[in-house]
Amino acid sequence: MIDFTNVVKTYPNGTVALNGVNLHIDDGEFVFVVGASGAGKTTMMKLLLREEKATSGTITVDDTDLSKLSYFKVPYYRRKLGVVFQDFRLFPKKTAYENVAFAMQAVGTPSKKIKRRVPALLNTVSLGEKANSFPHEMSGGEQQRVALARALANNPKIIIADEPTGNIDPKMSLEIMNLLLKINKLGKTVLVVTHEKDLVDYFQQRVIMIDGGQVSDDRVGGMLE
Amino acid sequence: MKQYRPTYFIGQAFAGLWRNGVMSFASIAVLMSCLVVLGSFSLLVANINVNLEDLGLMNEIVVFVKKEASESEIKSIEREIKGIPYVGEVTRITADEALEQMKEQAGEDGYLYDMMQDDNPLLDSFILEYVDGAHYSDIMYNLGQIDGIDTIRDQRSLANTMQSLKNGIMLIFSWFLVVLFIVSVFVIINTIKLSVYSRKSEISIMRYVGATGAFIALPFVIEGALIGLTSSMLAFLVEYFLYGYIQKSMENVIEIVRIIPMSEVSVVVFFGFAAVGILTGIVGSTISLSKYTRN
Repeated sequence: MIDFTNVVKTYPNGTVALNGVNLHIDDGEFVFVVGASGAGKTTMMKLLLREEKATSGTITVDDTDLSKLSYFKVPYYRRKLGVVFQDFRLFPKKTAYENVAFAMQAVGTPSKKIKRRVPALLNTVSLGEKANSFPHEMSGGEQQRVALARALANNPKIIIADEPTGNIDPKMSLEIMNLLLKINKLGKTVLVVTHEKDLVDYFQQRVIMIDGGQVSDDRVGGMLE
Repeated sequence: MKQYRPTYFIGQAFAGLWRNGVMSFASIAVLMSCLVVLGSFSLLVANINVNLEDLGLMNEIVVFVKKEASESEIKSIEREIKGIPYVGEVTRITADEALEQMKEQAGEDGYLYDMMQDDNPLLDSFILEYVDGAHYSDIMYNLGQIDGIDTIRDQRSLANTMQSLKNGIMLIFSWFLVVLFIVSVFVIINTIKLSVYSRKSEISIMRYVGATGAFIALPFVIEGALIGLTSSMLAFLVEYFLYGYIQKSMENVIEIVRIIPMSEVSVVVFFGFAAVGILTGIVGSTISLSKYTRN
């Protein structure tokens, strides 16, 4: 469950990025977050990832009040989230397998469990055969699927995908979106930040529109013109 | 149960050292120089201390009698000296005996003193031993009251000279050391910063998957410690040979000065270097990390 209540975010230079955002996302929902550049989508993600703190208002994720989260608890909170970026952010010198395994090593998962889980994750994203390939040997779509497998590695409750299809061709984009839907069906809450109207219209899911730092529309279905 | 592989952290630390080779080398060179200065300075002070202790053991005062004093005056001075409280044994050395001693000390060149035989410029003297150093100034005061004394010389003035020399050295070196250590820490900070910078994207991924600050920081802290360890080992080698060389060359020149053999202090120097080196490395890397490991 994700709750934004009267969330305001003002940056030190005076820019008001979010100006009173209220929204509620239930467990297991699939949500598109859309809006023009500079509308406040990125700030929303940063707040969710606890990279930034809200200036006022409260954000609650899975019963955790982010404004009261201590410095030492932030890493443990982040393990509830799986993040996917537009630019994949894979380690270029690690294979697909190693990239996924690293996310588990970084949180101290026993190697036995890593050996068991990584192949299963790669199969989930249909990359079982590419386990030993390096990022430069894979297409954009494949790299993003590795990133998705990595996001799932620590079994997070919520998947946040920031423009996941921004760097890949339309056919692959559909595949990635289908994969995200599949993950959603597995019980994960999925938030997809995008500005690709076609995709949003095609999938007919809940759409939260951000404009001028506020929620301007929240509906199920396609995007407003 | 959480499991972290130590090999991961150590491997990453070595990779970091290698990746920024030039900066790592610079850090090691600066820290090593710093440690060699620290070691040399400490050994110098230790040697001065040992010699000061030796001097302290010689509770002797030498009193020179004025040249014009007659034998009866000298006898009366001797009585007066013996009458001073806390003065122990008093030995008289006549000017002729003193010249004889000098001849003996000069060995083969002793004949040079022969020409002085007829007109001996040396003075008659008394060597007096005192039992308790606490009464030193009383004895000196009483000696000052005796007529016919030319000069009073004791080891204490030499000890004082060495003490002030030691203080001077300590002051200069302390400042020198402070500056050198600040420079070392800054060079290490920059080295680790470069290492952190080259792994910036990796660190951001680690943060997103929920790695703790300690997990992210540990390889860099180990990298700093490795810089410190390498510097201290090299510094020990340099110090070992440098000190050995100085010791050898001093032995033949100044015989009165006692020099501590390296074998007696090598363990202390070794562990001292390692401790200071590693600590400096860790402090440097911790400072440079604070910005990057924050959430």
